[in-house]
Amino acid sequence: MLKGVKIASVLAAAALVLAGCGSSGDASASATAPTSSVKVGMAYDQDGKGDGSFNDAAYAGLSKAQTDLGVQIKEVNSGSSATDASREELLTLLAQDGYNPVIAVGFAYSTALGNVAAKFPDTSFAIVDSVVDQPNVGNLVFAAEQGSYLTGVIAASASKSGHIGFIGGMEIDLIKAFEAGYVQGAKSVNPDITIDSKYMGAAGDNTAWNVPDKAKAASAAMIGNGADVIYAAAGGSGLGMFQAVKEAGAGHWAIGVDSDQYTVPALADYKDFILTSMLKRVDVAVYDTIKGVVDGAPLVGIQNFDLSKDGVGYATSNSAVEPYKAAADKAAADIKAGTITVNTK
Amino acid sequence: MNIMRQQRLLGIFGVAIAILSITRTFTHNPDLTSAVTVSQALGFAVPIGLAGLAGIWSERAGVVNIGLEGMMILGTFGAGWAGYQWGAWAGLLAGIVMGAFGGLLLAIASVTFGVDQIIAGTAVNLLATGLTKFLAILLFTDVVGGGQAQSPPIKGTLPSFTIEAISSPLIALHAKDIFIVSDVAGVVAGLFFHLSILTVITVALFVFTAWLLWKTRFGLRLRSAGENPWAADSLGVNVNRYKYMAVTFSGLLAGLGGAYLAIAATIYRNGQTAGRGFIGLATMIFGNWRPGGTGAGAIMFGYIDTLRLIDSDNKNVRGLILLGALVLFVIAAAMIRTSRRATGIGFLLLGGVMIGGFMAASNFPPEVAQVAPYITTLLVLATASQNLRPPAADGVPFRKGEGH
Repeated sequence: MLKGVKIASVLAAAALVLAGCGSSGDASASATAPTSSVKVGMAYDQDGKGDGSFNDAAYAGLSKAQTDLGVQIKEVNSGSSATDASREELLTLLAQDGYNPVIAVGFAYSTALGNVAAKFPDTSFAIVDSVVDQPNVGNLVFAAEQGSYLTGVIAASASKSGHIGFIGGMEIDLIKAFEAGYVQGAKSVNPDITIDSKYMGAAGDNTAWNVPDKAKAASAAMIGNGADVIYAAAGGSGLGMFQAVKEAGAGHWAIGVDSDQYTVPALADYKDFILTSMLKRVDVAVYDTIKGVVDGAPLVGIQNFDLSKDGVGYATSNSAVEPYKAAADKAAADIKAGTITVNTK
Repeated sequence: MNIMRQQRLLGIFGVAIAILSITRTFTHNPDLTSAVTVSQALGFAVPIGLAGLAGIWSERAGVVNIGLEGMMILGTFGAGWAGYQWGAWAGLLAGIVMGAFGGLLLAIASVTFGVDQIIAGTAVNLLATGLTKFLAILLFTDVVGGGQAQSPPIKGTLPSFTIEAISSPLIALHAKDIFIVSDVAGVVAGLFFHLSILTVITVALFVFTAWLLWKTRFGLRLRSAGENPWAADSLGVNVNRYKYMAVTFSGLLAGLGGAYLAIAATIYRNGQTAGRGFIGLATMIFGNWRPGGTGAGAIMFGYIDTLRLIDSDNKNVRGLILLGALVLFVIAAAMIRTSRRATGIGFLLLGGVMIGGFMAASNFPPEVAQVAPYITTLLVLATASQNLRPPAADGVPFRKGEGH
């Protein structure tokens, strides 16, 4: 029996060690031309870089800061089974090691960042997609509804059937804002348009971002009902929408989200069906945050990256979007001018 | 199969179709029994069913398998890793091998070393999660199309068939909205519509398991290891060898389920299994540790998930509420007949409340839409759990030579 216990503890220890390996990949690179003493700590959500979307966009901003400003960096991931406590630990470690600013990517860090920021008043923190009420925190929020309004305009203009779809990840206010803007934009073009929408999971259901098979089923059903343009704001589940649109064939369009998914290598098989993507310029926000610290003027409070700051927009890398650009750009101008107010709910 | 059982199965199928048909008629919702729905439900049922079947193999031999989720994760990883390099079939094979490796690990820990089976299974889950994340960073980060958390796209897919000669006329018949007839047509058409080869393999594995474990000498010995290993040992059965075979094969099946997920998604992603190993475990319990019930449970989960997802205006959820109420009525009637009157009346009342809700509201808020499938599932599970009988020595460690 003693032998059994030994084996069990070895197994368990191995499991923990390996689990540890998985959840915190780090990479630090030495700076080249310009150098700065600023050390940037970056905590990604879930499994970090390589999602072809949100985290990659944050990394783009970070790597730009690395080249342009010469800052040193450290990256960590929360892992998909993270808890508030484990996230707090990650952020505390970064702050303790002198990383300043510490940037948390994703709303999931809200609670943890609030606690840690209070303990390190001299460190600048930033959080993407959430608002934490602390004097040393920059809240990088995006007017996703404004960008989604533009994709709604494009979707409704491109749709021949007068029927479009929306696939959401987790059913939370953050994602509902995408839907609201999209719906409003589409209706501004065609008031009678039919819009199907479906969320992959309820609030708190973390699997919602990781179920491409379910997103595919939902998208295929929308297409079956006549939809010919679908927009997904669903993280890794979005892949299923691309698959369903590709299977439906020519005449059907997918609209990507966060980064320009037309240019993402992992989605190369589907690029001919990706009309455009709603761009959420997390890279701009991350870069601006780091630059603020380097310049000695950290961004604090609510920083709303909207159309006027180029914080959101739409991708034009697929030339198929050309015919709809005029309408989208006009809508963008109207939003900037304040003649159109976009709903977030 | 004897005549009585055949009649009973036909009866259950008949009642199910009748309930579906009534619901479809009252909600004017052809989606409930359309070919697309049935085909999609089968697709969702496959990984859950494979996990459940994997559970049957392991637990019938007396080893509780909490590690199913981990073995599935290993399967998704194997499929992603081999799939992007050598195609979907190679991915399938690698997924199976990785899953079997997970099963073997559980067997070594729990059979040879007598580690508590729950702890060993949990260790397999943790190990699989950590190992695959680690390997994904190592193997996928620098490959075009890959990333820290996902593999590059898997090359090719597995074949799937649509037998037009059968499905097309039936789909046309389904569209005619004839009571019962259209529903049978829709369900049957769904079986011949975008049918993946893996669905066929899965059904074959269910039949094979039912035959092997209940109709052969090998199966009797394997099950004896889960019912009374001491007696089996005294009769010369090598209990540990059977446990090893069963648990390793269990891992193989779970790995196949994982590989299916990755290949269907054309990609491996961390967290892709989304708890389906655990849902598989639940369907196994729901299915009373038997292939038939487990398969039915998996189809039910798949069907409910499908209805939620293909629903554009929440009308399916309304249908599901009526469906749940009708199922409750049928169960209540059966219970009152077999003199479990109190529970029966309780279900009757609950069904009545659901019918009331169905009549009162023409549309349900999305929050209800989100939870309705799970409530229905819970209710069915709760009612079914009263007659369950796990293998007698399930989870009990066996040491050769120790009496009992």
